[in-house]
Amino acid sequence: MCDVATVQKIANCLGVSPGKIQLNEEQVVTRTGAQNKTVAGFATILESMARESKSETAQNSIVTQEVQAQVYQWIEFAVLYVAPGSKDKYVSKQLLADFNKLFISKSYLVGHFITLADLAVYYAIGDLIKSLSPVDKENYLNLSRWFDHLQQRPEIHQGETMLNFTTIYLHNWATGTHI
Amino acid sequence: MAILLVSSSFSPAEITMSTGTLYTYPENFRAYKALIAAQYSGAKVKVAEDFKFGESNKSAEFLKKFPFGKVPAFETADGKYLSESNAIAYYLANEQLRGGKCPFAQAEVQQWTSFADNEILPVSCAWVFPLLGIMPQQKNANVKQDAEVVLQRLNKKLLDVTYLVGERITLADIVVFSSLLHLYQYVLEPSVRRDYVNLNRWFVTILNQPQVQAVLKDYKLCEQALVFDPKKYAEFQAKTGTKQQQPAKQKEEKKPKEKKEAKKEEPEELDAADAALAAEPKSKDPFDAMPKGTFNFDDFKRVYSNEDEAKSIPYFFEKFDAENYSIWLGSYKYNEELSKVFMSCNLITGMFQRLDKMRKQAFASVCLFGEDNNSTISGVWVWRGQELAFPLSPDWQIDYEVYDWQKLDPKSEETKKLVTQYFSWSGTDKDGRKFNQGKIFK
Repeated sequence: MCDVATVQKIANCLGVSPGKIQLNEEQVVTRTGAQNKTVAGFATILESMARESKSETAQNSIVTQEVQAQVYQWIEFAVLYVAPGSKDKYVSKQLLADFNKLFISKSYLVGHFITLADLAVYYAIGDLIKSLSPVDKENYLNLSRWFDHLQQRPEIHQGETMLNFTTIYLHNWATGTHI
Repeated sequence: MAILLVSSSFSPAEITMSTGTLYTYPENFRAYKALIAAQYSGAKVKVAEDFKFGESNKSAEFLKKFPFGKVPAFETADGKYLSESNAIAYYLANEQLRGGKCPFAQAEVQQWTSFADNEILPVSCAWVFPLLGIMPQQKNANVKQDAEVVLQRLNKKLLDVTYLVGERITLADIVVFSSLLHLYQYVLEPSVRRDYVNLNRWFVTILNQPQVQAVLKDYKLCEQALVFDPKKYAEFQAKTGTKQQQPAKQKEEKKPKEKKEAKKEEPEELDAADAALAAEPKSKDPFDAMPKGTFNFDDFKRVYSNEDEAKSIPYFFEKFDAENYSIWLGSYKYNEELSKVFMSCNLITGMFQRLDKMRKQAFASVCLFGEDNNSTISGVWVWRGQELAFPLSPDWQIDYEVYDWQKLDPKSEETKKLVTQYFSWSGTDKDGRKFNQGKIFK
């Protein structure tokens, strides 16, 4: 997931110019921005873009040092566990269950507003969520709510087909499945 | 009151540019709607200085602007007037808060605003206001069940949406949130709100938005639910004087006794007891708030159980500490409904069981007079403190309202006679029905 495309998407979200994004000879993603400065590594690039951005998401992500640190943790988690883990049948199940549990009591990953942490995990887990059948999604209602909330924002879905979560409204008449 | 400036980065010069003045008393949840909306839109709102509720809003000057004399009320910088909190909040909001460009979303915002006013507020007020002592307690009202229905509906709604309307915070969230503030502050203690996980998540999310925090500041979620305290209401009545609202008068007629008692007590003692009650965790004995006194229930109960009444009753009057303990006559209100004797006895023992935690600081002898289909229940009660003890704990409030409670003067001969009669299980009731059975609460 720490590929060129994801970095570009996040740059779009934040409304900053991505600069030149590429992989260096060690296959680490790098960004060459204004004044020809190059930064390497997914988390570092995200941080550099957050500083340039005036968007709500970016501002939220650097509001305090604590928030900043938590955001960084989630970005690392997204890169190290979510992206690779979502390709494994067993790990991905655990991931989904964990995130679903987390979102019982939280609307966003860090604090009470959208941050880069949400974006990083959103793009890392997107393919996995896409692969879920409607019935599977029923099992992860809280995660679905969070994902759906993010994908509805135009700057986040960026014109891609939106995943259908409408089946989760089934619970309005099939309440038995939601204990 | 100092000027509350809504925008955090306010310089004195900007005050003159404010788009208006809001009249309200402090911590008015209705005013919060407007103040939070202004935080989002950046509208500059000045809260009127020196506003005194009940005075300022009754002044001729105020009534000229706002004929209903209600707050919050808003005066724009160019001299236009708005009343009704939802309208003020709408005026001070921005496009996002009003639901964006889509008429349907705007309508949804209206829907939730009405929901807050018509569904949430009535149940919230019916539950919380009596506990705050600003409204009499409604008998037989299923306030908790009514609230549950509304809260569950919200909880269900918020299972699969982050905000009430669309993907952004709108007035729908702000208005519904403000209407829930009292519930979350005073009665939805952790064990109760556990049933509303989605609603909690949403509530905490809204609460922690910087724009909301800027207005609410020290708001805390309920740790322990308030319990009804008749004293508080009596105090409130005393304070508001003769000009009372309709429901207040009704209450006066219904419970004149209780009010008098509350008035008799010295205010100092009241405050201490109130403070102690509020400060102490629920698990403690509610009687701890009262002075201990010299009367020892355990000793008396031992004497009563082991000795003849000829000995134990004089012992009672010898040891009784009238300053810190009180004697009451409790008479069942619905004697005409009593049928079988054994059922009536179950009624008494059932009440004793529910009052279990009171045992340590109370004693009672409750008697049944008469026979099947023609009987009465009454009893003499003794407990610590000078007030009706039952409101001290929610566990004790199940039965006491079906009894008339009459406080007895411990010095009078009549009381001595009554105590002797009930403690020795003898004599007749007022209408001459013979003693049938007695139950001792000890």
